[in-house]
Amino acid sequence: MTEHDPGRRTFLVRAIVGTGAIAGAELVPAQTTESPKEANASAQSHSGEDRHGAFFNRDDAATVAAFTERLMPGAPGKPGAHDTGVLHYIDLALAGAYADLQDFYRHGLAQLDALCRKRYNEPFVRLNAARQDEVIRALEQGEATEFTWPTAQEFFNTIRTHTMEGMFADPIYGGNKDFAGWRLVGFPGAQPIFTRTDLESKQAFSRAPVTGL
Amino acid sequence: MATEKTDVVIVGMGAVGGILAAELGKAGMKVIGLERGPRLSTADFSGQDELRYFQRQDLRPNAKRQPVTWRASANAAAKPLPILNYGNQAGGGTVHYGAVSWRFHEDDFRVRSQTIQRYGSSAIPKDSSLIDWPLTYADLEPFYDRAEYELGVSGKAGNLEGRKIEGGNIFEAPRRREYPLPPLLADQSGLIFEEGAHKLGHHPFSTPRAILSQSYHGRPSCTYCGFCQAFGCHVGAKSSILVTKLPEADATGNFKLLTGTMCFRVNSDNSGRVTGVSYYGPDGSTNTIEAELVILATFIYDNTRLLLVSKTRKFPNGLANSSGQLGKHLMAHITPRVFATFEDRFVNIYMGPNAQKHSLDDFNADNFDHSGLKFIRGGQISVSPADLEGGPIGAAMSMNPPPGIPRWGAAYRDFLAKYFARYAAVIAQTENLPYADQTIDLDPTVRDQWGLPAPRLTYDWRRPNELARIEFLTGKLEQLAAAMGATRYWRSPMGAGAPGAHHEGGTRMGDNPKTSVVNRYGQSWDIPNLFIIGSSTFPTMSGFNPTLTIQALAYMSADAIVNRYKKNPGRLV
Repeated sequence: MTEHDPGRRTFLVRAIVGTGAIAGAELVPAQTTESPKEANASAQSHSGEDRHGAFFNRDDAATVAAFTERLMPGAPGKPGAHDTGVLHYIDLALAGAYADLQDFYRHGLAQLDALCRKRYNEPFVRLNAARQDEVIRALEQGEATEFTWPTAQEFFNTIRTHTMEGMFADPIYGGNKDFAGWRLVGFPGAQPIFTRTDLESKQAFSRAPVTGL
Repeated sequence: MATEKTDVVIVGMGAVGGILAAELGKAGMKVIGLERGPRLSTADFSGQDELRYFQRQDLRPNAKRQPVTWRASANAAAKPLPILNYGNQAGGGTVHYGAVSWRFHEDDFRVRSQTIQRYGSSAIPKDSSLIDWPLTYADLEPFYDRAEYELGVSGKAGNLEGRKIEGGNIFEAPRRREYPLPPLLADQSGLIFEEGAHKLGHHPFSTPRAILSQSYHGRPSCTYCGFCQAFGCHVGAKSSILVTKLPEADATGNFKLLTGTMCFRVNSDNSGRVTGVSYYGPDGSTNTIEAELVILATFIYDNTRLLLVSKTRKFPNGLANSSGQLGKHLMAHITPRVFATFEDRFVNIYMGPNAQKHSLDDFNADNFDHSGLKFIRGGQISVSPADLEGGPIGAAMSMNPPPGIPRWGAAYRDFLAKYFARYAAVIAQTENLPYADQTIDLDPTVRDQWGLPAPRLTYDWRRPNELARIEFLTGKLEQLAAAMGATRYWRSPMGAGAPGAHHEGGTRMGDNPKTSVVNRYGQSWDIPNLFIIGSSTFPTMSGFNPTLTIQALAYMSADAIVNRYKKNPGRLV
């Protein structure tokens, strides 16, 4: 198939339009297990941090954004996957250091979508938060025979790992935006020195996070 | 294809190779060192980064390109291990290690006879291949002393020539003098560990580490940045081989280091001697070095693998393997953990040298009475971050949340947010016995980036003696967590039997050529101009980290080669 193939062109245009519609309408789960206040905050936060384009197509980006936000949901004063730019991190990683996992993600996301359509007649991004959590729990427990390769647990564990990396790695890798992940847990980054007073303190460490050394 | 001649070729430039290169070079021997990875410098470690060095293992072998496979039993299929805990650059594992530097106990060198003497031979599991070392602590003491002083180790003596000293490790073997440097500062986790251990009547102390507490030999002291285990030191305060022995080796003028080279065969002729090695260059070329003396100083997998792939008609089961012991008696530290969280204080465990910060030795070796217990030997207990590394990725990956909290979702986020700076892990590093059916051989299907068969481990620590030891020590960890004032503490799951850190065995040393691969100097019984040095020669493993003992053995072998073998190249024993 060449780039001049009209059939493929039409398909691509439709896919983009379709994804756009999904992403625009309902990236945010309608129902969540958190308090309504948290879910609301989560909805408002979906504005500018879903950067991608190094690897993911828009469908897959929307799914990964939704999935990782359930793993580490944001709330007021508690930045989550979206706020810290986890999607951006994973997108860049798959275009570089984790290029050998590209097909792992493609297959995993396709299997996830197939599972959701089979069980709920909707793709993952359109499910409400409770349903999304149900699906994620099934993957974590390995209760998803729809998954062959990667297995459900391999897929869950990998996305979980990459979510934590995106939350807490040095911002140079595309996540942990403005040190939001480090601020969440109280990690000051790569401080070049701690004094005896710092070492013996029973208080929270107060110097601002720094990158590198 | 290049061929060159030299006196000595050393394969692997880590804890052993660097010491041998410097000492043999000083004695006027021409040395070529082969190193699979690059040669880095302190300047390379200016950007500390948990993702790169801890999570992506940048200073360790790439687990996909250089696979090592593992199976729990000979009936199971072997799969590549996800993480490899050894080095992949000049300086080897000493570049990224936590630098914990112990001398083994006196009874660590005579585990079999000690056990029989105290508990009777029935205390030894029937399937264990437990033996004594062919040397004693006293034989090695001068070389421990030399390693501590030449490299730079910080600590406090607990046993000066038999005199017990509170504040040091009173269970340590007698030493001739104090450590060259005072102990490193304790952080908050060390202070509460010390307090809790005292309440229980134990004997806590600052872990001895090859990290400078004061400037030493032109290198600056530690800045307590916390990036040790998994990282290179950004000021050169960690006494890695990279900043200690390699510059010494360079200064001899007799040392040449070839980086990016992969040794794939030890060459031999029919005279019963080795003639040198063959290696792949960084450009893929095949090259040969002819040498009078060949020293294998790689991590244990490669020491064994190189001998297995270098088999000849005379040695059909692997070079230097007339004993049939090659690849057997694989051991590893298994490390039960208890996580503890605190409501009344921050712990900030990411500060300060990150591995085994503060220790106690009351339940290690034969330091306690095992009568009535269903196991022998013990473990070294310490306080640490989740995976000996203090950043949040390490905590998220290695600390299971307490019962009732899932590994993801709002509750998990809140758990990490509240307790990342308020947790400590209490861990036991346990000594596990040798068993002949715990082995390293060649994987029949998996190959590495050079096309060599991957080392395959067959190993499962879940044996009655080991399970009982771990249960006993985990109980001690829980008592400690409570005594430290933790409001909540819980166990980490123990996993599926895979080997942990610090692997030992494969080219066992002994005093009988029929039952061991090498003698006390690491010299092959079969081939006198072939030495194999490192933890692959350990007959038993101790609950202590192996590196200082590896380094002491390297100094002892260097001494024997320079002062005896060089004049009369034959069997040293």
